[in-house]
Amino acid sequence: MRKDKMVIIIIVGIVAAVLSGTMFMQFRAVEWTEETQIEGMREAELRTTIAEYKEKYEELETKLLDNNKKIDEYNQKLESNQESAELVEKELEQTNLLVGKTKVKGEGVIVTLKDVDENRITPDILVELINELRYAGAEAISINNKRIINMTDIAEVTAGYLVINSGDQSRITSPYEVKAIGKEEYLASNLSLKNVGFIDKYNSSGYDIQLTKDNNITIEPYEGNINIKYMEEAE
Amino acid sequence: MIIFIAILIGCIVGAIVGVNVPIISYTYSGYLAIAIIAALDSVFGGITSIIKKNFDMKIFISGFFGNAILSILLTYLGQKLNVDIYLAAIVVFVGRMFNNLAIIRRYYIEKFSNDKVFSKAKKIIDKNEGK
Repeated sequence: MRKDKMVIIIIVGIVAAVLSGTMFMQFRAVEWTEETQIEGMREAELRTTIAEYKEKYEELETKLLDNNKKIDEYNQKLESNQESAELVEKELEQTNLLVGKTKVKGEGVIVTLKDVDENRITPDILVELINELRYAGAEAISINNKRIINMTDIAEVTAGYLVINSGDQSRITSPYEVKAIGKEEYLASNLSLKNVGFIDKYNSSGYDIQLTKDNNITIEPYEGNINIKYMEEAE
Repeated sequence: MIIFIAILIGCIVGAIVGVNVPIISYTYSGYLAIAIIAALDSVFGGITSIIKKNFDMKIFISGFFGNAILSILLTYLGQKLNVDIYLAAIVVFVGRMFNNLAIIRRYYIEKFSNDKVFSKAKKIIDKNEGK
C-alpha cells in the first residue's frame, strides 16, 4: 500500500515536471520568435515574404535601369548641347570678328595719309587704299580708329572733312591713319610696289603717304549699331 | 497532502529544466504546443476521474503521453498533407478540457453547498438535543 502510494507520487511528480518543462520551453520559443521575426516565420510565410521582396527587388531593378537609361540620355543630350553651344559660340565669335563688332589685334601695317596743299586726300583714294588692302588679305581695317565694316561709306562733306560710317556724324580730317591687320609682308609689298603700287603712285603725284609695319596693331570695334531692316534670310 | 508537494516539486524542476534547455526552432514549437494542450487535457481528465472515483494510473499515464505523441504525429501528418489537423486536435482537446473543468466546478460547488447544509442541520440537531 505504501509502495503503491510512493509510485503514484513519483509518477505525478514526473508528469508535472514534464508538463511544466515543455510549457516553459514553449514559452521561451514563442518569446524568442517574437524577438527574431524572420527566423521564426513558417515556411509558407517566408515564401510569401521572399516573393514580395523579390517582386519589389525586380521592380526597383527595372526602375534603376530606366533611370540609368534616362541619365545616359540626358548626359548624351548635355554633351551634344554643349558641343553645339561651343560650335555656335565659335561661329558667333568668328562672325563678330568679321563683322567688326570686336576689338581685334594682330600684325599688319599702318598707312598714314596727309593732305599736302592742293592734294587733298579724297574718299576715292581711301576707297582705293581699302581695296588694295583687302586685295592683299587685310582682315580688319580702320581709318582714324573708325572701323571699316561691310556697311561702311566714305564721303566728303566739305573740303578736307570726311565722314566715315555716316551713322555717326563725327568728321575726320588729315592726317588719316589707316590701320590694317593681315599678313604684314603681303600688305606692305602690295602697297609699295615700284611705280604702280599705291604708295608710289600717289607719292609721285605729290601726296604724302607713309607706310609703317607693326606686328601688334589694335583695331577698335565698330561703335554704331548694325540695323537690318529690309533684308532677311532667303530660303 | 504529499501529492501536492510532489506536484510543486515537479513543476519547479520542470521550470528549471525548461528555462535552461536550448531554444527549439519555431518549426517544432507548433508540435510542442499541441503536445502541451494534449497533456493538459489528460491532466484535467485525470482530475475529473478522481472526482468520479474511477481514476486509473495506467490510463492516466498512457493518456498523458499517448495523446501528446499522437497529437504531434497527427500535426506532422497534417503538415505533410497540407491540412491543418492541429486545429481539429485543439478543438477536441480544449472542448474536453472545458467539459472536465465544468465537472470539477460542479463537484466542488455541490460539495461546498452540501457542507453548508450539513453544518446548518447539525447545528439545529445540536440545539434540539441541548434542550
